[in-house]
Amino acid sequence: MKTWEYIVRRLVLLIPVIIGVTIITFVVSHVIPADPARAFAGGPKAQPETIARIRAELHLDQPIWMQYFYYLNDLIHFNLGKSYLEDRPVTDALAQYFPATFELTIFAMLIAVPLGIAGGIISAIRQNKLSDHFTRVIAIVGYSLPIFWLALMLQYVFAYIFPIFPLEGRLSIGMTPPGPITGFYIIDSILTLNSAAFVSALWHLILPAFTLGFATLAIILRMTRSSMLEVMGTDYIRTARAKGLSERRVIYRHGLRNALIPTLTVTGLSFGGLLSGAVLTETIFNWPGMGRFAANAVLGLDFNSVMGFTLLVAIIYVIANLIVDLLYAFVDPRVKLGGG
Amino acid sequence: MEKRRVRNRKAGGIAIILCALMVLVGFSGCVQQQQGGNKPAIKNPTTYVRYDIGEPRTLDPAEAYDSASTDMVNNIYDRLVTYKGNDTTTIYPELALDWSVANDQLTWTFHLRQNVKFSNGDSFTATDVKYSFDRVLIVNSPDSGVAWILKQCMDLNSTTIIDPYTVQIKLTKTYGGFLALLAFTVASVVDRTVVEANGGVVANTDNTWMKENAVGTGPYKLDHWTHNSEIVLVKNDEYWGGWNGSHVDTVVVKHADEASTRVLALENGDADFAYIPFANLVDIENKTGVIIYDRPSYNVVLGIFNVRSENKFMADKNVRRALSYAFNYQSAIDDAFNSHLYRLAGAIPQGMPYYNTQNNGAPVYNYNLAMAAEILNNSGYPQNTLFKGNYYRFNNTAIRIWYNSGNDERQKMALSFQAELTKIGINSVVSTEGWPQYLNRMYNTIDWDFLFLGWMPDYNDPDDYIAPFVGSAANGGDTFNTGWANATVDYFINQGKYNVSSQIRSDAYTHAFNIYINDPNLIYIGQESYTRGLRTWLQGYTYNPVLEYYYLDYYKAYK
Repeated sequence: MKTWEYIVRRLVLLIPVIIGVTIITFVVSHVIPADPARAFAGGPKAQPETIARIRAELHLDQPIWMQYFYYLNDLIHFNLGKSYLEDRPVTDALAQYFPATFELTIFAMLIAVPLGIAGGIISAIRQNKLSDHFTRVIAIVGYSLPIFWLALMLQYVFAYIFPIFPLEGRLSIGMTPPGPITGFYIIDSILTLNSAAFVSALWHLILPAFTLGFATLAIILRMTRSSMLEVMGTDYIRTARAKGLSERRVIYRHGLRNALIPTLTVTGLSFGGLLSGAVLTETIFNWPGMGRFAANAVLGLDFNSVMGFTLLVAIIYVIANLIVDLLYAFVDPRVKLGGG
Repeated sequence: MEKRRVRNRKAGGIAIILCALMVLVGFSGCVQQQQGGNKPAIKNPTTYVRYDIGEPRTLDPAEAYDSASTDMVNNIYDRLVTYKGNDTTTIYPELALDWSVANDQLTWTFHLRQNVKFSNGDSFTATDVKYSFDRVLIVNSPDSGVAWILKQCMDLNSTTIIDPYTVQIKLTKTYGGFLALLAFTVASVVDRTVVEANGGVVANTDNTWMKENAVGTGPYKLDHWTHNSEIVLVKNDEYWGGWNGSHVDTVVVKHADEASTRVLALENGDADFAYIPFANLVDIENKTGVIIYDRPSYNVVLGIFNVRSENKFMADKNVRRALSYAFNYQSAIDDAFNSHLYRLAGAIPQGMPYYNTQNNGAPVYNYNLAMAAEILNNSGYPQNTLFKGNYYRFNNTAIRIWYNSGNDERQKMALSFQAELTKIGINSVVSTEGWPQYLNRMYNTIDWDFLFLGWMPDYNDPDDYIAPFVGSAANGGDTFNTGWANATVDYFINQGKYNVSSQIRSDAYTHAFNIYINDPNLIYIGQESYTRGLRTWLQGYTYNPVLEYYYLDYYKAYK
């Protein structure tokens, strides 16, 4: 199968995935006995007309299958509905929060991937030496530490005790955001030639990105190490050495390339996971991203926001897995897309 | 073997070093942070920064009802009248220079301030006043329903322009709290030209542009609003009051859900003012440059009885009286609210007019288990059901106590109440659920006996409390869906609502109190303290329970 055919096929398969995800999420979120209309209308101070209007808008007086039909109808017209918690369209909310999370995720991966792979390689080729012990301890610490604790400690030490980095947020207090063009402050500040915003945005990214990246770094490091150890013990590596190839060439051209497949898998899944938002990190660093948005939507039974967020995450995971599969084929010529 | 021993020692050494590092970091909190002595350098000297929870929903006065939204509206827009400082009893002129009411108590005439401009340079006139009030009634905000406040006593024929700087308002019925109502954000004056150019006024429809944009006559104007992050106001150079004296130029309100972030921001000076939960106040006590501000607020804490419960004994007023005696008020004050709660005598909070119509402000019900038991015994509810070695009342039927999850104060009060009820032979069950489910239970089921709620003021008049609390549903009250009703109380509530005579209102509220306190549908637990953390360099701040923040008064300097 050609690559483009494979991509099209996978994207077409996205449709039944979306339908399945929306059905499950819709049912689960709507069967809870609750009164979201009154909560959205102001709780005890809600006016009866307001409650009635919201109930009608959400079709809460209709059977659940009918409510789903209305939802699907809106979805086909690219209408994700209104976020009652934020009092604005869900698309507007996602358009603001997704770039914030995406930007944070990119930087977290920029920390995690190079350091994780490098650490894994070092750990594998210098097995049982000091550097191996050190990197393994880092890995254990990375995936053992509760992320909220790491976030709080980094904030406390590097933003309070030694105020090197900002305490929270995406920009300095009161600074007008650049753009908005893409919603990515780094890109928007470059496009608008706003150097102050660029520096501020970059500086604000460091602590939260490191927090998120550290756990992912640990996973990538461990996976790379174990893959490398397995690959470096194979016959073809012995052959490569016997042929007189430099150790560098043996490790990177022959060893790493074959060891990368499992690492790619966890990297792709981690990327997808981070893109769906890290609510604890975002809450502690006051990062207006998808995680906080989703958590508030779930707690507040903001159905439209929950559905919109879930839909977006489903799409992200499908695309992330597609990219990982394409990279498999690139890294390992033995892998054929579509099987066969 | 030797090699392995060396390896193990190396690994052990690394582990010890890392553990030591973590311990060091963990104890770094014991390090006294040097902050330049008792007067650290003022950060952002012309910018006021507040870290808070809650995000504004709108900037439109015709829609704003939640406190985060009204906070912004109060500072971007003006109203005809206002409050000042911490004075909640005096109505001050703002866009109106003076006013008078005719003998009919219905017709009010306001003379307006001249040479006032909106932040875009447009001139303010009586046309904008009429437009603003009519707009509220026509828009009839479907999202918030806030128009009810004006609809109580005004309609589209109420406001008349006499001349460019005189407006007359003829009420549909006399309303004792009319001036207080005019000081609330719903009566803010908008720029007619701007609104008409951006969506205009559409019946029963909120204006999308006005939600996110604002042009007012107030001291500040909107700079930018990043949802769930921050909203920034900058000084309005056109402000009619001028900028003589000391004022902050910029206001930043940051939305920060995490309490530890707010605490650190206050301590390091990033925040001048922050909401700190009661449980975290200990984190900012005795910190350099930080003080705790504590004043009674109008926010009240209530226990709600379900008079329509399946447990029929809840309909008996003597049971509710007994439960009111069984509640440990001091435990609520000390344990749940860390002493930041004041006793509440009745529906009207302390500081509001006519508070003393409630037994002169002295609570009728105090913690008294003996009295509670006596009332129950005399009312035919003895402890006569044996269960697991103890005797219980109500045939061992458990009273169902609810609180909404995440609310630590209500959880503590619920558990305390349960413990007290057990002492007098009443079985109970404490349960919790999320806020939307909690509301559903309260309003759409009778599957509860007692739960906790609170109330905050809309405007500074007792009618805003007594009518929703103890008025019947038929009279527009019973806002907590207790099922309680008393026609005589309704009569007195209406007498207080529709009279401007302070004597008549005082007598009405006294009579109402004497009835409802002896047949309670609520436990009046307390009145919350308004407790915030602020930097010592912040000057001009004073708490007003109705007009919470007025940034024009604030500036940063050491006294």
